[in-house]
Amino acid sequence: MSARVLVAMSGGVDSSVAAAMLCEQGYEVVGIAMRLTPEGLPAPTRRRGTCCSYEDFEDARRVAERMDFPFYVIDLRPDFAARVIGNFVSEYVGGRTPNPCVMCNREIKFDRLWSRARALEAGYVATGHYARIESDAAGRFHLRRAIDGTKDQSYFLFTLGQSELARTLFPLGSMRKAEVRERARALGLANADKPDSQEICFVPDGDYARFVERTVRPAEIRRGSIVTGDGRAIADHNGIHNFTVGQRRGLGVAAGVPMYVREIRAATGEVVVGSRDELNSAGLVARQVRMVDSARFDGAEIELEVKIRYRHPALPARLRMLSGERAEVRFEHGGPAVTPGQACVFYRGDEVLGGGFIERAVEG
Amino acid sequence: MRPAVHDAIARVGASVHGNPASIHRSGQRARRALEQAREQVAGLLGASSRGIVFTSGGTEANNLGIFGTAQAATATRKRIVTSAIEHSSVMAPLAELEGRGFTVTRVAPNRDGQIDPAAVASAISDDVALVTLGLVNAEVGTIQEVAAIAQASSRAAAIFHLDAAQALGRIAVRVADLGCDLMTVSAHKIGGPAGIGALYVRPGVNLAPQMLGGPQESGLRAGTPNLVGAIGFGVAAEGVASAIDDECARIKMLANALLTHLTRTIPGLRLNGPRHGRVANTLNLTFPGVLGESLLIALDLEGVEVSMGSACAAGAVEPSHVLTAMGRRPAEARSSLRISLGWSTTPKEIAHAAEIITRVWRRVASAEPARAIEAAV
Repeated sequence: MSARVLVAMSGGVDSSVAAAMLCEQGYEVVGIAMRLTPEGLPAPTRRRGTCCSYEDFEDARRVAERMDFPFYVIDLRPDFAARVIGNFVSEYVGGRTPNPCVMCNREIKFDRLWSRARALEAGYVATGHYARIESDAAGRFHLRRAIDGTKDQSYFLFTLGQSELARTLFPLGSMRKAEVRERARALGLANADKPDSQEICFVPDGDYARFVERTVRPAEIRRGSIVTGDGRAIADHNGIHNFTVGQRRGLGVAAGVPMYVREIRAATGEVVVGSRDELNSAGLVARQVRMVDSARFDGAEIELEVKIRYRHPALPARLRMLSGERAEVRFEHGGPAVTPGQACVFYRGDEVLGGGFIERAVEG
Repeated sequence: MRPAVHDAIARVGASVHGNPASIHRSGQRARRALEQAREQVAGLLGASSRGIVFTSGGTEANNLGIFGTAQAATATRKRIVTSAIEHSSVMAPLAELEGRGFTVTRVAPNRDGQIDPAAVASAISDDVALVTLGLVNAEVGTIQEVAAIAQASSRAAAIFHLDAAQALGRIAVRVADLGCDLMTVSAHKIGGPAGIGALYVRPGVNLAPQMLGGPQESGLRAGTPNLVGAIGFGVAAEGVASAIDDECARIKMLANALLTHLTRTIPGLRLNGPRHGRVANTLNLTFPGVLGESLLIALDLEGVEVSMGSACAAGAVEPSHVLTAMGRRPAEARSSLRISLGWSTTPKEIAHAAEIITRVWRRVASAEPARAIEAAV
């Protein structure tokens, strides 16, 4: 396989160090910055710290100049708009809470970037993700959490299968963030102290609801009532896209006890609220389930841990495959709020076994 | 740069130090060198050296010609006539003038990038301040017929500006034959240094300077002139004047060889622009089934440098506005690349490039088929 590697560079410290390290390891690095977000968003100069601002591209270009490897900006805006932003808004108007970073990895970085790599005769695609890829004696690949648990990004990468992992490099998986910054300083990279990006890159102000409203046709906005568990309407709302399961703030209802969103019913526009206790689910059904190494699972019930949000701890659970790329997950000790649309990722210890997207909660 | 340009810059640059505007003797030597360069450039344009205003390049010359004319125009002349396929250094000033109350008429080209002279001429009336047109299109190489446009401009007493940056050194650009009032030229297009260009201003044309300060360049462009650049421009102009026919014939032969090879090996390849009536040095080609951006990067990694559309502020390539104005679909524009040949291109390089382009196109088309991409969008 060619030692040429396409490194996805955002201009941030992580992907910059990843590219520099691969250079030092003797790979033929080609730096690629992806232009993803559409025109018409707030001025790029105000968007420092998110992906894809012009300054970020310049930071990436400087790294390439310093390390002396070719660097190109590629335009994936149509793909990003169709496959990531389109999915994001349709999930929200459908009453679910999407995770666009997972979609971006699956659809853009490990699909579009991969066909680009083949076109450029590159044997590998690399990113600055904090996760590890290991191969065993049998030639199977394993996806593992990063050494730095606080930075671990394996949750966003569960869609990678054997063929992807064989051609993917995560140079930072065994490093701590502090080491990465240290490395950046040692390499003389100008962006060593640049802050980590936080919010979703195409919603720089973090106001998802307004973004959805600006993007969809008004008819697609589903207004309705906020109802209690016994079906009593207690308030009106301006669209189900304003809510996420487990949400407490901003419900616009006053009650004696704190109220949380329990369920969003897209068909009727109802947002069901309840007390904290009523949030807990026994399990969930996931769709578009993929296993990192499907050969290892024969369809029987599997004991594992499941993470149902990026920042949540993994919970012990049992997994049972259903038909049509679906699976049922039952928590061993009862679970917290299950948010449809979010990724649920299956772990065993530090290994990612697979994952899917939450379709619905399962009661009792 | 041409070797003669290099030598002249090294030689004269070492011996001439002064500011051409200074009174002392080194200033006088500098002034002589500058004026000699002006004559050399004027010679290539068949113009009097008094009409040559040195600028920092083609972009500044276009800005000076356009804003200078608009500012000097009488209040009754509030229209500008141009085409839809101009260079960004023409389009952006015109867009700015629209914001200042001018009306801009942009004549669309036909599918080969030709602007119908009658359509332009019929748009010219007494309220037109400026007619501005690229003599040779930068992206597809189409040579425009301008005689009727020059006549119509003259009849309406409108200023006729030709952007000849892409034409210089490739076809004859004698200002009297073309009948223009203003003409933009640039040195680096003819093997001179980057950072120097000129605007020809026909004596008697009323132009408002855009750079104010000292009296340099007949008061039309204040600031110490780029002497070294001008010397390089002058030598390049002289070189191209004596070699233009030989060089063009040689480039045409090489370009035809390349096109023949690629047409044979790449089914569905299309040349953008006319078969005849174009300059030979640029081949604008639509490569079926691939993204131009992808092919461009793949070729660059193999040492073949081509271009596409224009670079955006972020450094990504944008589909060409020229091709979309010529009626190409955005997807076709995104599959198109420009291959440029120059005075230094050799037959061996062309043979090598032809082989690489075919091989890389096949690989990119199979690894990342453009049809699948379009379907996904």
